[in-house]
Amino acid sequence: MTETAPLLSVRDLRMWFSAEKKDIFAPQAVLKAVDGVSFDIRRGETFGLVGESGCGKTTVGRTVVRLYKPREGRILFGGVDIANLSGKDLAPYRRRMQMIFQDPYASLDPRMTVESIIAEPLKLQHVPKLERIARVWELIDRVGLKRDHLNRYPHEFSGGQRQRIGIARALATRPEFIVCDEPISALDVSIQAQVINMLEEMQEEMHMAYLFISHDLSMVSHISHRVGVMYLGHLVEMADMAELYQHHLHPYTTALMSAVPIADPVKAATTKRIVLQGDVPTPIDPPSGCPFRTRCAYCTKRCSEALPEMKEVSPGHFLACHVMQNA
Amino acid sequence: MALLEVQNLTTTFRIGVGTVQAVRGISFHVNEGEFLGIVGESGSGKSVTMLSVMHLLPDYATITADSILFDGVEMTELGAKELRAMHGRDIGMVFQDPMTSLNPLFTVEQQLTEPLKIHLGMKKKEAREKALELLNEVGIPAPEERLRQYPHELSGGMRQRVMIAMALSCAPKMLIADEPTTALDVTIQAQILELLEALKQKSGASVVMITHDLGVIASMCSRIIVMYGGTICEEGSATDIFYDPRHPYTWGLLRSVPKISTGEHRKLIPIPGTPPDMLRPPEGCPFAPRCRHCMRICRTVPPPQTDLGDGHRVACHLMHPCAPKIDRE
Repeated sequence: MTETAPLLSVRDLRMWFSAEKKDIFAPQAVLKAVDGVSFDIRRGETFGLVGESGCGKTTVGRTVVRLYKPREGRILFGGVDIANLSGKDLAPYRRRMQMIFQDPYASLDPRMTVESIIAEPLKLQHVPKLERIARVWELIDRVGLKRDHLNRYPHEFSGGQRQRIGIARALATRPEFIVCDEPISALDVSIQAQVINMLEEMQEEMHMAYLFISHDLSMVSHISHRVGVMYLGHLVEMADMAELYQHHLHPYTTALMSAVPIADPVKAATTKRIVLQGDVPTPIDPPSGCPFRTRCAYCTKRCSEALPEMKEVSPGHFLACHVMQNA
Repeated sequence: MALLEVQNLTTTFRIGVGTVQAVRGISFHVNEGEFLGIVGESGSGKSVTMLSVMHLLPDYATITADSILFDGVEMTELGAKELRAMHGRDIGMVFQDPMTSLNPLFTVEQQLTEPLKIHLGMKKKEAREKALELLNEVGIPAPEERLRQYPHELSGGMRQRVMIAMALSCAPKMLIADEPTTALDVTIQAQILELLEALKQKSGASVVMITHDLGVIASMCSRIIVMYGGTICEEGSATDIFYDPRHPYTWGLLRSVPKISTGEHRKLIPIPGTPPDMLRPPEGCPFAPRCRHCMRICRTVPPPQTDLGDGHRVACHLMHPCAPKIDRE
C-alpha cells in the first residue's frame, strides 16, 4: 500500500439493464442497477462493498472485471481504461483479474474434474501442459485439498471444499485483483471463518487486492481496509473501516450498523436497533433526488430535489447526504 | 412450567444409499411463555427436531420418541387427523422462505382466512374482518389492498409478515419460527425481529426460534439449545451460553463469528474440519473428530449430559470429575 497510484480506479460507472415491460406497447423500462459509482482500490487492499439485495453491489463487481460492458464511466486498471476494450485487447486483463462467486454449487461445472476446473484459466492463457500440472498441484496444496481430489467431480465435495476449488481457480493465473462476490454467504458459520482466514493469508502472501462484496456488515468490517456502502445503485458513504465504524454519518449506514445482530446478549439488550420503515424502492422507478429519502428520518425538501454528491467530509471519508454534509 | 416436553426423540430418513440419522435421541422442553432458541449448523438436526414434533415429515422419515407431551396431550398417541387439528391452532409455524411456503395460486385473503374457517369455524365475512385485523397487527400498510394480492406481488419482508399473521391467526400456544429472517436483508430482518418480539409480548405464546445466526439468538432468546450432529451438546440460559459456555463446539462457534470492531484486527479462529456425515455419524461424541480436546473415550462413548445447575446442561466428557480441566480458550 506504499504505492500512490491505485490499482483500480472506477469513475462514474453506470450499468443499466432493460427491464421487463408491463405490456408490449409500453416504453422500454430501464433498471439502473449501478448509477454513477466512483471508487479506488489500492494494491494489496481489501475494499468492502455492502448493501442490501438489489442495491447493485454484485453488478459493480461484475462490471469492473468486465463480465458486463458498462453503459458509461471509466474503469482504470493499472492506468489503462478497460471499460470499452473487447476481445484480444481485453485478454491480458482477464488474467490479471479474477472472480470468486457466491454459490459454490452453481459456479463449478459439474461435468469437469477438479483438475480441469483449476487448469482451465491456465489453458485459456496458453500455459504449457507440464507447467499447468505443476501449478494445479501447487494450488491444490495451497487451498488445503488433497492431490487425490483432483480427479473427482464437484458433487463429491462439501460447500466449503467447493469454495476452496473456486479460490484455487481464481488464483491460478496469479491475478493482482480478485472480486469476491459473497464468497461465504452460502457456507456454514464454522466453515465461513476457514475461508475468510484463507483469503486473508493469500492476500498477505501474494499482495492481491480484493473487492469484497457482501450483505454481512460484520464480515465486511472484519476483512476490509476500506468500505463503501451502496443503496439503490449509488454509493452513499465510503471510508476506512475504523472511521466508518466510529464516525458513520449517513442515516442509512447508521441504520445498517444498528440492524446487525450482535452475538452478545448484554450488548444486544443495551444497543437500540434503528428500524427502517418500509422496503427498498424498485430501481426501475427510483425516487427523485436522494435514493434513500423515502426511508430516511432526516429527509428535507432538498433531498427530493437533487441527488446529493459524494463529498470528502474528512480525509478519506466520503459522504453523499444533503443533511449530514452540512451538519 | 413446561408447555412441550420431549423425551428421547429419534428421527431417521431412509434414502437410497442408507439411513440418515438426523436426530439421535434428544430430550428437551419448552417452557410456557419463553423465547427458546435452537442454534446449529445445517445438518445439525435443528429443523428436523421441530418438524418431528409436528409430524410434518415425508413418508420416508421414521420418528420415534418415548414421549412428546404438548400442553398435557401425548402427541405420540394422536392420529393423523388429531395432529392436523393441532397444526395452526395450537402450534403455529413460520418457515424460512416465505416464497415457497405461501401458495402462489391463492390470494393473501384465501390463505389467511383458511385457518380461521377451518379451526375457528368462522364465516367468510367474519374471517375477512379478522384477516384485516391480523394484517394491521403485523404492520402491513393498506391491508384491504393486500388481501386481494398474490404472494408474488409482495416483497420478501411483506410475505414473511403475512406468514407470521397466518401463524398467529388462531392464537397458538406455541410459535415455531424456522430461520424466519435468513432469506431477508438486515434492515428487513430488524423489522421482523422487532415484530416477533412485540407479538410475543402481547400474546404470551412460547416461541421457538430455529437459526444458525448467533446474533439473532443473542438479541431475542432467554434460553438456548445448541445442536450438533443430531444431538444437543449444550443447553442453558442466554447468559450461560454466551458468557459461560462449557462445550468445545459452543466455544468454537462463538469464536468463529466476527464482531464489528473499532479497528483492532482479531483473527478468526475457525473450527477445523467439516460437520459429520449423518449417514455414518461418529460412534462417540459427534464433535470428537473436530475437537481440539478430544480424548480416547470421546471417540467411542457418547458423552452423557452433565447438569451444572439452573438448567445449564452440557454433553461433554470434559465435564467428568476425572477429566483434565480445560479453560475456555
